[in-house]
Amino acid sequence: MTVVYALLGAGLFGCGVFMLLSRNMVRMLLGLSLLTTSVNVMIFQTGRFRSQLPPIIPEGSEQLVNSADPVPQALILTAIVIGFALTVILMALALRVHGSHESVVTSEVRSAESLGDPILPEKTT
Amino acid sequence: MISSLLALSIAGSSLAYPVARRLGRWAGWGMALLPAALFVAFLGYAPASSAGIVATDSLAWVPSIGIDFSFRLDGFSFLFCLLITGIGTLVVIYSGAYFSDATDRERARFITLILLFMTAMLGAVLADNLIVLYLFWEATSILSFLLIGFDAASAHARRSALMSLRVTVGGGLALLAAIILTGATLGTFSLTEVSARAPELAASAWAPAIAGGLMIGAFAKSAQFPLHFWLPNAMQAPTPASAYLHSATMVKLGIYLLARFEPFFGYLPRGREVLLAVALVTMLVGAFQALRAENFKSVLAYSTVASLGILVMLVALDGPMATVAMMGFIVAHALYKATLFFVAGSVQHATGLSKLRLMGGLGRYLPVTAVAAALASLSMAGLPPFLGFISKEFLFEAQIQSTTDAIPMAVAVLVNAVIVGVAGVVTLRPFFLGRDREIEVRHGERLGLIVGPIILATLGLVISLDPGWMNASVFGPAVAAVYGTTVDVTAAMPHGLSPVLLLSGVVLGIGALIFVFWRPIHRRLRVQLWLDSYDAESAYEALLRRIDDLSLKVARTVQHGDLRGYLWTVMAAAVALAGWGMIASGVLPRIPTAEEMGVVRLGPALMALVGLAGGLAAARARGLIGAMLAVGLAGLITALMFMVNGAPDLALTQFSVESLTVVLLTVALLTLPLAGHITRSAGERKRDMALAAAMSAVLFVALMDMGSSTPVTEVSAFYGERSYIEAFGRNVVNVILVDFRGLDTLGEITVIAASSVLVWSLLGPQSRAEGQTPIASGRSAFIFRFTSPLFFWPLLVLSVITLFRGHNAIGGGFVGGLTAALAFAVVSLSHGIEQTRRRLRIHPALLVGGGLTLSIASGLPGMLVHGTYLTHVWFETSVLGFTIKQGTATLFDMGVYLVVLGAVLSYLFGFQREAAR
Amino acid sequence: MITVPAGILAVAPVLIPLGGAALTVLARRRQPLQRGIMEVAVVAQLVASVLLLVTVASGGVAVVTLGGWGSPFGISFVADRLGALLCVTASVIAVAVALFARADIRRRRRKAGFDALFLAMLAAVNGAFLTGDIFNLYVWFELMLVCAVGLITLDRRRAQLDGAFRYTSMSMMGATFMLIGIGLLYGEAGTLDMAHLSQVMSGRPPSIALSASAFLLLSGFVLKAGLFPLFFWLPASYHTAPISVAAALAGLLTKVAFYACLRVFVLVFGVAGTMSPVNGMAPALAILAAGTMVVAVFAAIAQTDVRRLLAFHVMCQVAYLVLALALLSMLGIAAAVFYMVHTMLVQAGLFLGAGAIARANRGYDMRRAGGLMSDRPLFAGVFALLAFSISGIPPLSGFWSKFLVIDAAFRHGSTTGAVLAVIAIVVSFLTLYSMSKLWTQAFWKTPVRKGHAAKPIPATMVWSVAILAVSSLAIGLVPDALLSYSREAAVQLVPAAVAESLP
Repeated sequence: MTVVYALLGAGLFGCGVFMLLSRNMVRMLLGLSLLTTSVNVMIFQTGRFRSQLPPIIPEGSEQLVNSADPVPQALILTAIVIGFALTVILMALALRVHGSHESVVTSEVRSAESLGDPILPEKTT
Repeated sequence: MISSLLALSIAGSSLAYPVARRLGRWAGWGMALLPAALFVAFLGYAPASSAGIVATDSLAWVPSIGIDFSFRLDGFSFLFCLLITGIGTLVVIYSGAYFSDATDRERARFITLILLFMTAMLGAVLADNLIVLYLFWEATSILSFLLIGFDAASAHARRSALMSLRVTVGGGLALLAAIILTGATLGTFSLTEVSARAPELAASAWAPAIAGGLMIGAFAKSAQFPLHFWLPNAMQAPTPASAYLHSATMVKLGIYLLARFEPFFGYLPRGREVLLAVALVTMLVGAFQALRAENFKSVLAYSTVASLGILVMLVALDGPMATVAMMGFIVAHALYKATLFFVAGSVQHATGLSKLRLMGGLGRYLPVTAVAAALASLSMAGLPPFLGFISKEFLFEAQIQSTTDAIPMAVAVLVNAVIVGVAGVVTLRPFFLGRDREIEVRHGERLGLIVGPIILATLGLVISLDPGWMNASVFGPAVAAVYGTTVDVTAAMPHGLSPVLLLSGVVLGIGALIFVFWRPIHRRLRVQLWLDSYDAESAYEALLRRIDDLSLKVARTVQHGDLRGYLWTVMAAAVALAGWGMIASGVLPRIPTAEEMGVVRLGPALMALVGLAGGLAAARARGLIGAMLAVGLAGLITALMFMVNGAPDLALTQFSVESLTVVLLTVALLTLPLAGHITRSAGERKRDMALAAAMSAVLFVALMDMGSSTPVTEVSAFYGERSYIEAFGRNVVNVILVDFRGLDTLGEITVIAASSVLVWSLLGPQSRAEGQTPIASGRSAFIFRFTSPLFFWPLLVLSVITLFRGHNAIGGGFVGGLTAALAFAVVSLSHGIEQTRRRLRIHPALLVGGGLTLSIASGLPGMLVHGTYLTHVWFETSVLGFTIKQGTATLFDMGVYLVVLGAVLSYLFGFQREAAR
Repeated sequence: MITVPAGILAVAPVLIPLGGAALTVLARRRQPLQRGIMEVAVVAQLVASVLLLVTVASGGVAVVTLGGWGSPFGISFVADRLGALLCVTASVIAVAVALFARADIRRRRRKAGFDALFLAMLAAVNGAFLTGDIFNLYVWFELMLVCAVGLITLDRRRAQLDGAFRYTSMSMMGATFMLIGIGLLYGEAGTLDMAHLSQVMSGRPPSIALSASAFLLLSGFVLKAGLFPLFFWLPASYHTAPISVAAALAGLLTKVAFYACLRVFVLVFGVAGTMSPVNGMAPALAILAAGTMVVAVFAAIAQTDVRRLLAFHVMCQVAYLVLALALLSMLGIAAAVFYMVHTMLVQAGLFLGAGAIARANRGYDMRRAGGLMSDRPLFAGVFALLAFSISGIPPLSGFWSKFLVIDAAFRHGSTTGAVLAVIAIVVSFLTLYSMSKLWTQAFWKTPVRKGHAAKPIPATMVWSVAILAVSSLAIGLVPDALLSYSREAAVQLVPAAVAESLP
């Protein structure tokens, strides 16, 4: 399975990169959420699929025997939530950018770069 | 003792400003007491100096790298100290009168700067540690910068100030490099030790670099070609400053340094030649430009350049006489040049004229000044019995003695002749000739303005007439200090005819001719404007322009402003770095073992392929809705992947996150333009695809390699063992989240909290008018309206259950919070924000804040009990006979629940508001 | 002497601002209360960090494994000399910024959550300095990112939104690299505790996964540290932020990223030694540093907006740090530690100074500024200290920093070292060129727009700048304490196994 999941993780990442390189902010943030998903897939592989049993200690026994590695799962849980927060932030930014610039195409949204730009004539915010 | 004198100087000069302001018009006389006192104090060293005793003094500063405030007063330093403090006294007096009509603030500021400069100068010539020397060296540059730009209102002054700062401090950096290299080579920064071990230094591999650095630094400071151009421009400074810094003292600092390192240059192959060449060019350039210059001050400035060239030449020449001549010339030049600057200042002050051509017959109005000028010029022209004459005799003596060929001699003769001419011009023309010229003089002479020049001018005569004391306690020791062995110095009138005297005669002859034909020569050279485009200054300007153009180009290239371009570059750089790392590792990727390859479970494999297909579909999708759904599919598949591989918690979380993302996106997409029209050219898409492929390849190799290595399970095994026994939880993942690695969770809910604050400030009601209309309209809303009660309560209950059983079974704070959020989402989508908030009864921000506080606080009891934060405290409660372990871990998870709920709700409300607009 | 258990001291610099952040969120709508909480928290944090520094300087490393599980099973907080020192520095900056904020951050900005986000960011910064767990480090980085975005968009100006979007998208990329790197590392070594990792790593044979991990981490850190060619987010966003925020970001964030480089590559991967499983780090670092220096300083010279000019100098200064690290020698690492303290203080000070200039001149355009030398001589002097300090003029902290770096480079005894040293010297000349331009334009030149003179600068602003300028001067006048401290910090940082193989 290593190869298959490696393919899945790397492949999804590539797709995410391709979307991220778009100039449409919405597509970019979709790409970024795809990136975060793919990263979770990659982290999951550090557990090596050594078992299909969840890391939950069954009633009666006191210790975990033969289960999936719990650590990557914990890391991924954290990563998922953080990724979610960041995606939401990007969405909010995209919304406000659209509200203030009437566009979500990054080549048309230049107000940050043109602020105090030495090359362009002076502008004020 | 030395350090205390320096400390006095530092203290006095830094406290000078308020005092000087209070003294008002008397500031000049009053503040002159400081340098005068120092002068007297240094005179006290004369006996010791003549006895050849070297006073040293040291204070610890940075012992860990062998840098101390160590000072050393030998003959050479002594000579400089006398010049600095003596002339300093007169300069301060002069400035007081010079700024008589300026405001008290201005006068005080100027005098303070002068005194600070004097301190820096003293420090530089007294320092024995090279780093300390550099410290004061830079201080003089900065003060010179401030003094040149003293009249900040004038753009010309600012430009000149910047020029001198850049040249001298730039040279200073070269000097610093040389010093550091010296320290790295010899392991010491002590000037004494360095000059003692000069051969060793000259033999080291770094020697050429060190020599180069030293020379650049010294040349920049002492205005040697091609770094000389800042000095004439420095004449923008008020004249007292020019007299002090730019003729008498600061510009000689470079000479001081070169002289200190003379043995090193001597041992260095071609060391002396380089110095000599630079010196000769400088002399010629200075003399030539002096003939072209028309301002009183600039004539003096260029002649100063020439004189500095002579001094460097004397450093370059070998033989004891060269050193003797150097000492004599340093003093002679300081005396007459400072005087002449004073004179120039007085003239300008009295008449407001600066061009020599316009002056004449001033002797009538400024008699004393005229006398001073005359005395100084005679010394400058090197006529007996003045000090200038003696020093020139020594100069030629040195040239005859030294092993160098005739060219320096010829140059020296020529340049000295020009200096003679200049001497005549700057005195006879303005003061004695052209009496017919009518010039209105603002005011006669003032005591403050004549004390300085007259004293210095007479000194130039007195010393030569009675050289005993000077020879014994100044020249002799100074020469001994630099040349190493004591040389019998007799600065006195030579007797009888000698080749030296002959040379002097020649010089005087040519000089007289130059003086007579000054006007035509001056005119001829003046009109040759093309010369100006070849001089060093225009080269400097060109360099600056080059730098500015280049910087604009760079700025344009790195700040093109196209976000896609930025991201592409970043990603490409990452690929390059990772690729380089893999290559540099020098090993091949490990591949999975055969039996590992064997166990491909068909279902999951197919699932993975579907997920991949989803990703590709998302990448290829034209419309944004399609892309969103495809991304969602990929996410879903990932969730399933987690499920079938023993990670139900992940599956659950991933699933709810995906669904929430979709909900929010749909809300967002209601306002955003859906037309995902092409924003990239075909070429760009190709390049992006290539880059994405490259990144995927790198990652794939890395993942496969990692997956094929044998895992280390020590840590995860530990969790499996302790989870239930010591942390009282069966769901190991949850126990890790709330206990083993609780801090991660804490940090992460803080991320959520912060993001909610951010979204609230971006999309909150205050950002624009409140939007209340439910966004879901039509049939969907209709369905929602009916179904929402069916969803709401069950979801809410479920969320609470998930929260509390989380510690032992699937679930936990995250999932619980997300589920609860979903419950409210349903209501909010169907009945709008207001009703939801009514049902919620509490502001989401309070949920977030409260939850965060709860989670943070849940770690404190442990800290108090066990002394380590986030150590959970457990206590047993018995409910209906069952004993249940409860602990702060539960509180922690509740905090997580609240934060997630509050945050997601503020997202939702914000997005709905935005959508309603 | 107050005796607080090290276990509590080590987490205090994080817990205090974190708790403060939570409370300020609860205290929504009551801006004065929020400000009060923030200021109290900032001061308390400074006190705590100083206590921690004292403890560490006398009693060695303060380690506490949160949750009470021994290392490597729990997340450890490892307050060694380096961490404690940086916490104190960060706290000083925080105090200065809080002071400045009194005049700069008004009601609307507090309403938009300045206090909460600022405190959370401080918590993240200190957490990054103190944590001994690499995944935890990642979490703090993400927290920093989110807070920074929130702080940049406080006014919701168009430029801020655009800048924030650029900042977030690029930083998320960096975070992704970091996360993958950490994942690969765990997959190979099975642990996340950095001390444990460094034991596991030393003597381990090189592998593709480990190299990929190291260099992905490098890409992530380097992106956040603002090195060429991954720096674009920095000049695209810093100048849009409110100036107090910009100062905090300039003083803290990029340096945290460099700190991560130092910690992860020197400690975890032990790249300085011969036992490291990762090759080719030194040349990569050297190239990144040299490239950044040159590009950044030239780009800075072109700028006319003070904030943009300073933003490029931030990158240029970080490059000096990376240069020192690239030498992979004890001297280099010590120099980097010293330099870090200097540059954090001075960068923050310069940005705050820019804010004051803008207050007086009604704008950040240098071409329009002027006349401050005569109107505000005291402030002119204070700002001159900072400008000279960053240009490496003695006796300011900047001089010693540059001295140490160049010295270490020359003593490296390699051609690379010499080349880097020369580049460093040339670049510091160009830095002086640019800073002197700025200073003469803003302070000497008579203002272009006649008529109205410079507006008054609030005292709090001048004081906050003065705090940082004076600390730079103090370090410069008495460098020995910090110097020997940073040397000991370097010794502590480098794994013992690596140490003896070092020049």
